[in-house]
Amino acid sequence: MSDDYPSLLRSEQMSLVQLFVPTEVAHDAVAELGELGNVQFKDLNPNVNPFQRSFVGEIRRVDEMGRRVRFFSTQIEQEKDVVPIRPLYDSAPLIVVGPRAPQAMDELDVTLAAHEQRLTQMNESYQKLSERTKELIEARHVLRETAVFFDKAHHQTDIRTSFDDSSAPLLQHDDRENQYSVGTGVQFDLEFVAGTIERVRVPTFERVLWRVLRGNLYMNHTDILEPFVDPVTGAETRKNVFIIFAHGDALLAKIRKVAESMGATLYPIDANADKRSESLREVEGRLEDLQNVLYNTGSSRRTELTKIGESLRSWQDVVRKEKLIYETLNLFNFDVRRKTLIAEGWVPTRDITTIQLALRHATSRAPACLPFYMSFTIMDSYGVASYQEVNPGLFAVITFPFLFAVMFGDIGHGFIIFVAALYMILAERKLARVDLGEIMGQFFYGRYIILLMGLFSMYTGLMYNDIFSKSLHIWHSAWDFPSNTTDTKIVGIDNGHRYSFGLDPGWHGADNNLVFVNSYKMKMSVVLGVIHMTFALCLQFPNHLKFKRPIDIYANFIPQMIFLQSIFGYLVICILYKWSVDWSKATTQPPSLLNMLISMFLSPGKVDPSEQLYAGQPFVQVVLLLLAAICVPWLLVTKPYLAWKDMHKIKEQGYVSISGEGDGNGIHRNSSDEVLEGEEEGNGRAIAEDGDDGEHEQHDFGEVVIHQVIHTIEFCLGCISHTASYLRLWALSLAHAQLSEVLWSMTLEAWLEPTGVFEWIVLIVMGVFWFVLTVFILCLMEGLSAFLHALRLHWVEANSKHFEGGGYAFTPLTFANPDSKE
Amino acid sequence: MEALLFNVDGGFLEGTVRGYKAGILTQSHYANLTQCESLEDFRTQLSATDYGNFLANEPLPISTATIADKATQILVDQFKYLRNNAVEPLSKFLDYITYAYMIDNVILLITGTLHERDTHELIERCHPLGVFESMPALCVASNVEELFQSVLVETPLAPYFRDCLSASDLDDLNIEIIRNTVYKAYLEDFYAYCGSLGGPTADVMQRILSFEADRRTVNITINSFNTELSKDERARLFPAIGRLFPEGNNQLAKADEIDQVRSVCENVGEYRQFFADAGSSSDEDSGILSQLEDRFFQTEVHLNKMAFLQQFQYGVFYAYMKLKEQEIRNITWIAECIAQNAKDRIQDFIPIF
Repeated sequence: MSDDYPSLLRSEQMSLVQLFVPTEVAHDAVAELGELGNVQFKDLNPNVNPFQRSFVGEIRRVDEMGRRVRFFSTQIEQEKDVVPIRPLYDSAPLIVVGPRAPQAMDELDVTLAAHEQRLTQMNESYQKLSERTKELIEARHVLRETAVFFDKAHHQTDIRTSFDDSSAPLLQHDDRENQYSVGTGVQFDLEFVAGTIERVRVPTFERVLWRVLRGNLYMNHTDILEPFVDPVTGAETRKNVFIIFAHGDALLAKIRKVAESMGATLYPIDANADKRSESLREVEGRLEDLQNVLYNTGSSRRTELTKIGESLRSWQDVVRKEKLIYETLNLFNFDVRRKTLIAEGWVPTRDITTIQLALRHATSRAPACLPFYMSFTIMDSYGVASYQEVNPGLFAVITFPFLFAVMFGDIGHGFIIFVAALYMILAERKLARVDLGEIMGQFFYGRYIILLMGLFSMYTGLMYNDIFSKSLHIWHSAWDFPSNTTDTKIVGIDNGHRYSFGLDPGWHGADNNLVFVNSYKMKMSVVLGVIHMTFALCLQFPNHLKFKRPIDIYANFIPQMIFLQSIFGYLVICILYKWSVDWSKATTQPPSLLNMLISMFLSPGKVDPSEQLYAGQPFVQVVLLLLAAICVPWLLVTKPYLAWKDMHKIKEQGYVSISGEGDGNGIHRNSSDEVLEGEEEGNGRAIAEDGDDGEHEQHDFGEVVIHQVIHTIEFCLGCISHTASYLRLWALSLAHAQLSEVLWSMTLEAWLEPTGVFEWIVLIVMGVFWFVLTVFILCLMEGLSAFLHALRLHWVEANSKHFEGGGYAFTPLTFANPDSKE
Repeated sequence: MEALLFNVDGGFLEGTVRGYKAGILTQSHYANLTQCESLEDFRTQLSATDYGNFLANEPLPISTATIADKATQILVDQFKYLRNNAVEPLSKFLDYITYAYMIDNVILLITGTLHERDTHELIERCHPLGVFESMPALCVASNVEELFQSVLVETPLAPYFRDCLSASDLDDLNIEIIRNTVYKAYLEDFYAYCGSLGGPTADVMQRILSFEADRRTVNITINSFNTELSKDERARLFPAIGRLFPEGNNQLAKADEIDQVRSVCENVGEYRQFFADAGSSSDEDSGILSQLEDRFFQTEVHLNKMAFLQQFQYGVFYAYMKLKEQEIRNITWIAECIAQNAKDRIQDFIPIF
C-alpha cells in the first residue's frame, strides 16, 4: 500500500489477525503483546459466563493476591509516619514470563500470604495491646478525675496539687453541687459507679439514667482532653469520665447495666483516698510497661511495612498485569483437542511485523509507537469515524476556529483569548501535573484550539475593524466628514481613497453603520456557509473512492452537488457579482437578491427588467431550476434501482445454474460430489445459509429504498434550512459587536476625560470594572456561546453531508498504566 | 396537581431511587448466580452487577452472613443518602419506614434480654436502620411499664406502645402480643399518614399497606390456632385497615381452622389464589403455610413493582426498600444453597424483575 505511514486524514489500516497459540506459551505471548500494546482482542466466546471461562481459577488467584496487595497499601497509607515506598522504576523487576513463570508466581503468592499473615498477627497483637493501654489510660483518667472530685469535696486541695493543675478548671462550675454533696455530711459511704463513656452518648446516658432511676442520682462528668485513636481504623473517639452517686444496690446494679449496654467502661474505684493513690501508682506502673511493649510491637510492625513498601510497587504492577493477561486469555477460544488457544484481534497493519517478531522472539522488546494524535477531539465526541473514513476532525482544526472567529471577531477579545491559551501552552508541563478541576481542565485540554481561536478572532477582528468595539484607523479612510458645517446631520464625502484592508473606520459611529454592516455580514455568512457545506459534501468523494462505491458517486454525490450548487452556489455567485458592481454608476437599481431567489422558484423565466442583475438572467435561472428539479428524482430513484437490478441479476444467475445442473447426469453427479466434499470440509453450513439469502436480500432492498427516501428528503430540505442556519454567523457576530459597544458606552466612555482627582479614581474603578466584565461576559460567556454555535455548525450542518461516524476507538491490550499520575 | 410541584422537592430523590431500582438484579442475573459452583464464583458474578466490588476486600473464605451484611450495608447507605437529602414531608415518610425496623429491634432486644443473651451480641444483630441512640438501655427493663417510661417515651414509637402498657410481665407470649399490637398501631398510623399526604402517594401506599395489614391478620390467625391466645385478644391484634377489614377480620377472629381462613380470603379476588391448589387435609398444614408465605412474598413484590408504574409519589421509596430487602433475602438464600451444596432448592427464591 502506498499509505504505509499513518495519516491524520484516515484512520490507521487495520487487519484482523488470528493467532494460534499453544497453551504453554499463551501466557507469555499475551504478556509480550501487552507490552507492545497494539492488539485489540475480540471476545471469541461471548456466550460463556465470566466464571465458566478457562482461566477463572487463575484470575481468582490473582484477585486474591490483589486483595493482599491492596491490604498492604492501605496499611501503609494509614501509618502516620510516612513509610517509604520504592517507586516502580527503582525496584528490581519480577520476572513472570518465561519458563520459570509459574514458580515465580507461586513464590510471590507465598510471600504475599506470609507477609499478610505476619502483618495481621502484628496488627492483632498491636490492637490488643493498645486496647489494654487504652483501658489503663482510661483508668488513670478516672482515678485522677475522681480524686480531684473527692478532694474538692473534702477541701483538701493541698494534698493533690499536682493533679489539680490540669483538671481543676473543668470542675469549677460544680461548686454548687459540691456544696450539696458536702452538705449532706456523708463521709463517702454514698455508693457510686465510675467509668468512661463516649462523649456523644453522654446526654442520652444521662437522660436514660434520670428516667430509669426517677431522678435519684447525682452524676458528674468531665471531658478527657486527648482523643483515643483506634489503631486499626485510625478513627478518633473522645471520651468522658463520669461518676454517679446513687443509693441502694438495686439502683447501682441498674446503673451498671445501663452503662454497660451504652458502651461505657466501668472501673472499680475505692472511696478511700490512700487506696486510690495506691491504685493510681499501680496503674501508672503497668501503663509504662505496656507502653514499652507497645512501642516495640509498633516498631517491628513498621519494619515489616517498610520491607513491604520496598517491593509493593512491583507487586502491584505484576498483579495488575497478570490480571489483564488472564482476562485477555479468557477472551480466547480454547480448543481442548489441539491444546491451543485461538485468538482473534485487530491490529494496525503497519505493526504486524512487529507483532510477529514479538511472538517469535519472546525476549525482543520493540518500542510501540502508535501515532499520537493532537488534542483536536471535537469530532470524536460526535462520533468516532468509521474505519478508514475521512476524519472531519482534521479539517475542523482550521474550519472550527475560523467559524468561531467569524462570530467572535474582535482584535482585543481575540488577543485576550490568545494570551490565555499561550500561557497555558507555555506552562504546559507545570499545569499538566496539577489537577485543575473539571472546568479548568477542559479549557486546558483544548488549549491549542483556543490558541487558534484567538488568532483567528484577531484576524476577523481586523476585518471587522473592531477592537473592544472601537475601530482602528490605520490607512486613509474613504470618507471625509466636513467638520465646519452647522448641520445636525453630517454626510460623509467620498474622497477617492480605498481602505486597503477590512472595514473602513469611517463607518464607525455613522448612522447607517448597522444597515451597512448587517447586509455585509449576512451575505458573508451565506457565502461562508455554502462554501463550508460544499466542502463537507466533497469529503464524500474520497470515502466513496476508498470503499469502492462508484454507485454512490453517481447516485448520491453528483446529484447532491448539482442540487446545492444550482440553487445556493448560484446565490453565492450573485452575491459576489453584486458586490463587484458599482451601483452608483449603473443604469439599473440594485436588485434584492432574496426576492430574486424567491421569484426564481415562484415565477421561473420572468425577471423584472428594472431589477435585472445581468443579461440573460431568466434563461440561466430556468436552466438551474430544471437542473435542481432533475436532481431530486435522480437522488431518489437511482440507488434503489441499481440495488434492485443487482439483486435481480443474482437471482437470474441462480436460476440458470440450477437448470444447468438438471441438464446432464454427469454434471449432477459432479456437483453432488462437490457437495459431499464440501460437507467433509465443514462447509455444510455455508450452503445451507444460501437458501435464506433471497429473503434477506428482499429485506435489504426495502431498507435501501426507505433509507434513500429519507436521505433525499433530508438533503433537499436540509440544503435550505442549513443555509439559513449559517445566518447564525451573522447574528452572533452582530450580537457580540453590539454587546461590547454597550459595555464600553455604559462603563468607560463617560469618564474618559478626567479632570479632578475624584474623576481619576472613578476612571480607574470603571476601567477595572470594564475589564472584568470584558473578560467574563464578552470573552468567556460570549466565547462559549460562539463555541457552541461553531460546534453545531460542524456537527449538524457539515457532518450530516458526509460523516458516518459509526466507528469505535481502538483500545488495545496494554500494560501502560492509565492512572500513572499517582 | 402533584405533577406541577412534586419535582420541586421530590424530583431529585425520586430520580435517584428510580436509578437505584434499575440496579435491582434481574432474572438473567439470578440465572447466572444460581449456576455458581462456589461463593468465589458468586462474588465474581455479583461484581458484574450494581453491587460492584462490595466483597472485593473480604478475605477468603466468605461467609453468607458477610454477604448479607455487606448487601444490607449498601442498602442502608442508599437509604441514608435519601434520608439526608429529603425534606418534609418526604423525610417524615422515610422516618416512617425506619419505624418498622425500630419495632423489630426493640422486640429483638427485649426477647434477647428475656433469654439472657449478651447485650452486645444483640445490638450487633439489630438492623442498622432501626437503631436509635437510647436503644441499648432497653436491656435494663424488666416490665413493659419500665420499658416505656425509661426508654421508649422519647422515641417516635412511644404512641404505639401506649396501647400495650397493660401487659405487665414480659414473657414470650406477651412479647409477641406487644409486637403485634405495636405493629398494628404503626401500620394504622402509617396508613393514616399516607392518607393525609393524599394524591397518588395515598393510592399506592394504602394499597401496599392494606396488603401488609391483611397479611398480618391472616398470619396472626393461623399462628394463634391451638395457643392460649383467646379469640378476643386475637381480634384486638388485627390492624383496623386492609381489604379484609371489617367483616373478614371479624370472621377471622372467630376462625378455628385453616379452611375458615381460606373461605374468608376467597371473598377478595386477589387473595383467592393464596390457598388455591393446596391440599385441604390438616396434616399438610406446614406445607400450606410455607407455600402461603411464598405467595405473600410474591404478592408483596408484585405490589411493590406496581408502585414504580406511577410517578410523583412517595410509594417508590417504600417499594424500593421492600424490593431490595427481598433481593437481599434472595441472594442470601442462593449463597446459602451454594455454601451448603443444596442445589435442588436453589431456585426457591422470589425473582423481582
